[in-house]
Amino acid sequence: MKLSLLFLLVSFLAILLQTTFLHLLPLGPIVPDLILVLCVYWGLNHPTVGAVLGSFLLGYSVDVFSSPVLGLNAFAMSLVFLAVYLSSRCIWIHNPLLSAAVVFFASWVKGVALVLVGTLFLAVDGLWMGVFKYIFLEALVAAMLAPAVFSLLRHGQRYLEEARMPF
Amino acid sequence: MLAFVRRNQVLLASFLCVLFSLLILSAAARGRLQRDPIGPLLLELMRPLQIGAQATVAKLKEIQHRYGTFRGLASENDRLKGRITELEAERNRLLEVEATNRRFRELLELRSQLPSGSLTATVISNSASTWFRSFVLDKGSTDGVLKGMAVVSPVGAAGQVVAVTSKSAKVLLVTDPHSGVDVIVQRSRARGIVSGSLEGAPIMKYVKRSEDIQEGDRLITSGLDGTFPKGLLVGTVAKVRKKSFGLFQYVEVSLAVDPSRIEEVLVVSAESPDP
Repeated sequence: MKLSLLFLLVSFLAILLQTTFLHLLPLGPIVPDLILVLCVYWGLNHPTVGAVLGSFLLGYSVDVFSSPVLGLNAFAMSLVFLAVYLSSRCIWIHNPLLSAAVVFFASWVKGVALVLVGTLFLAVDGLWMGVFKYIFLEALVAAMLAPAVFSLLRHGQRYLEEARMPF
Repeated sequence: MLAFVRRNQVLLASFLCVLFSLLILSAAARGRLQRDPIGPLLLELMRPLQIGAQATVAKLKEIQHRYGTFRGLASENDRLKGRITELEAERNRLLEVEATNRRFRELLELRSQLPSGSLTATVISNSASTWFRSFVLDKGSTDGVLKGMAVVSPVGAAGQVVAVTSKSAKVLLVTDPHSGVDVIVQRSRARGIVSGSLEGAPIMKYVKRSEDIQEGDRLITSGLDGTFPKGLLVGTVAKVRKKSFGLFQYVEVSLAVDPSRIEEVLVVSAESPDP
């Protein structure tokens, strides 16, 4: 229960940061995707039905604040969770470098999913121009953030687990 | 069967979420999604936090600007540190008040030229994603904002309202690849659609090869899309390229508005002004 509360708070914080403070960073149009990093963390370390729903809802929240069409980021984040979950079943991923690599790969999954759906189903043309540069930069920024975010979440989790033990 | 579901519950739940999101996307893309059960609640929940956060962001930007400005005066500031710091702090406060007044005066002047029923709004949050150019305003349906209304700044067209709750509105900016503003070239009256691009500069699409369009031409809203009032500045032509094949020219646009600097806007409808 406490862990769910922690993740709920972290989710709200991620949305707040991505819509306000993170725009202060001198990264041009790139917004560090904390939400993606959170979904990857759940896929690797907490593969539960709650985490699946959380990823879906986080993607939906990005749609609410940013996307002209609902469902686009909800689809992308659900797909990211699924991809990461399937990878974690085959590969042992528990060091910061590998986690960053998974986040990098997950960002590509998200970017390609958004562009494909946008081009095929929403008839948006012109998306392919410069898209790979954007996907690469976004993936790089997310991968650089991942070790720090993962470490913070693990510390938070450990603190809650230790707080649960009476002695 | 139950054992299979229990063993693969995460996998099945993931597939269901992917399919469900595609369903929502399909309904939303066809305009069949009448109600969004979660979005308005989320927007209302985040609104006070975002207003507070945006105030802090504005303060941080002011500090950043002040640091950049004062770096050259460091040696003199060392000598007259105490008194000058006090006076400069007061001056910056008054400059900010003056700048805010100027912005609102410009908005008021613009408002008098636009159809009646326009209202001012403030940006309270930006897009949460690299892929979409949008922001959220602090006015919603209770203030008279409707989906489809145009959003303008004193400099020119900024975007269009794509979603509204009772107290906030999401605006899709003209720099977004999903946007489209019907424009005409002020000089030659050539017509096209300005749309954002991930590559960088927005482009003007569907400009026939036979049309007369040159670098430096001003692009204004045509009023024919039913969203923007006619005559609003959108930008200027930055680059024109005619390939040896194809129906259309390639036109890059330099927008009049820099969306990252917008703080206050006017939300207008495209109806004709009252006689």
